[in-house]
Amino acid sequence: MKSLDPRVNRLPVIGNPGEILPKAPLDQFGTFEVFVQPKEGKPFQHEGIVHAPDLEMSFILAKEAFTRRFTCVSLYVCDTRSVYVSPLTDGTNNAYDFISDSIEKRPEKNSYEVYQLLKRGKQHVHAGTVQAGSPQEAMAEAKKAFKNDKVVFNVWVIKAADIRFTSPEEKELWLTLPEKKFRDASDYKAGDKLKEFLDRTNA
Amino acid sequence: MNQVALKEILYKIADDQLILGHRNSEWTGFGPLLEEDIAFSSMAQDKIGQSYALYQMLQSLGERDPDTVAFTRNASQFHNCIFVELPNGEYDFSLIRHFLYDTAEAIRFEMLSESSYQPLADISKKIRAELRYHTLHANTWMKQLGSATEESVSRLQNSLNLAMPYALGMFEASPYEKELISLKVFGGEDVLKERWMKKVEEVLAQTSLTLPDWKTVQPITGGRAGKHSEHLQPLLDEMSEVFKIDPTAEW
Repeated sequence: MKSLDPRVNRLPVIGNPGEILPKAPLDQFGTFEVFVQPKEGKPFQHEGIVHAPDLEMSFILAKEAFTRRFTCVSLYVCDTRSVYVSPLTDGTNNAYDFISDSIEKRPEKNSYEVYQLLKRGKQHVHAGTVQAGSPQEAMAEAKKAFKNDKVVFNVWVIKAADIRFTSPEEKELWLTLPEKKFRDASDYKAGDKLKEFLDRTNA
Repeated sequence: MNQVALKEILYKIADDQLILGHRNSEWTGFGPLLEEDIAFSSMAQDKIGQSYALYQMLQSLGERDPDTVAFTRNASQFHNCIFVELPNGEYDFSLIRHFLYDTAEAIRFEMLSESSYQPLADISKKIRAELRYHTLHANTWMKQLGSATEESVSRLQNSLNLAMPYALGMFEASPYEKELISLKVFGGEDVLKERWMKKVEEVLAQTSLTLPDWKTVQPITGGRAGKHSEHLQPLLDEMSEVFKIDPTAEW
């Protein structure tokens, strides 16, 4: 039987002389981007990624990975490959200036969610929704709609149809028992307890 | 209100939550992938939190404090069903148990949200949201692994066959069944079992897994009356290890 510990299964296997084999595929699932709305009326923001076998499972796993301690009102996920990214700037230029306005327009329009990075090291924050026929067109539409004096470091666009949203009836997922202090590492006051223990044993 | 009957039902539910919460927490650090490890551990914590809320309710009815109740009883004083005390085995068994148990638990608390005992009705409404996530998690895994590969299907099928007699033991009738029903504290184990079977059938119909003919499965009971398998006492010994060394310890 293979070990239940994936690290053990990842160890190289001793081979036989003369054997040439294709490289084994990565034993990891693909990544999915997680966006969280912290409060009603606040914009969604990018929270991080999860590994998952598919979009639905990524929603399930993201819920506990990102919102078990800090509750939220809504969450959504998309495949990392569904995110289209503008050039990143160093802050002296606006990322929107690197987006071309002369884009071939397609007649069939879809909704795209637009995210902006306003500060290095912070999360991408939702700016709004545009209608466009392609990710490139969505970037150009975002430039028209959201470019202002503020420097934007980076822009993301995601086709809304590629997103797994929280349904209205799923919103109750975050109405949990209020006393959840046992979830917070700080509530265990480990440092104080260790100090008290050392004082007691050294006395 | 009949206090003896009320305490009996609170104890069996709280003990189920505590024991399965502890069992599931044994996966912490060993889960099949990091995100699943976090989710499964977090749900285990939810269960222990729910048992704590119910032990507090028992304390308000004159029972001892939650820590004493959780850590100082022997196996024969626990009222959980045998199903929740069984060792984790491999992840397929833990997932099947999670699905079968949490489906029942969600319906049980939904029924209890109508309870004539107001504190129980109130707490049941509050934990509904947590259970909604637990069943969403369980159902999604069932639908995915239950029709994925030959290995995933056969593993789940074997675990399902193994689990079923124990799962039916969840619905072992209380000696106060009639009273609890007539006082409208709880709609009763038979109603719960019927609704559970329907829900289990509905989810598994979307997979390649097959359910046994319900009539052929002999439920394994005894847990509610304190008759447990050999697996419960070692679990309790481990769970109460720190408490027994130092009852004033906080950790």
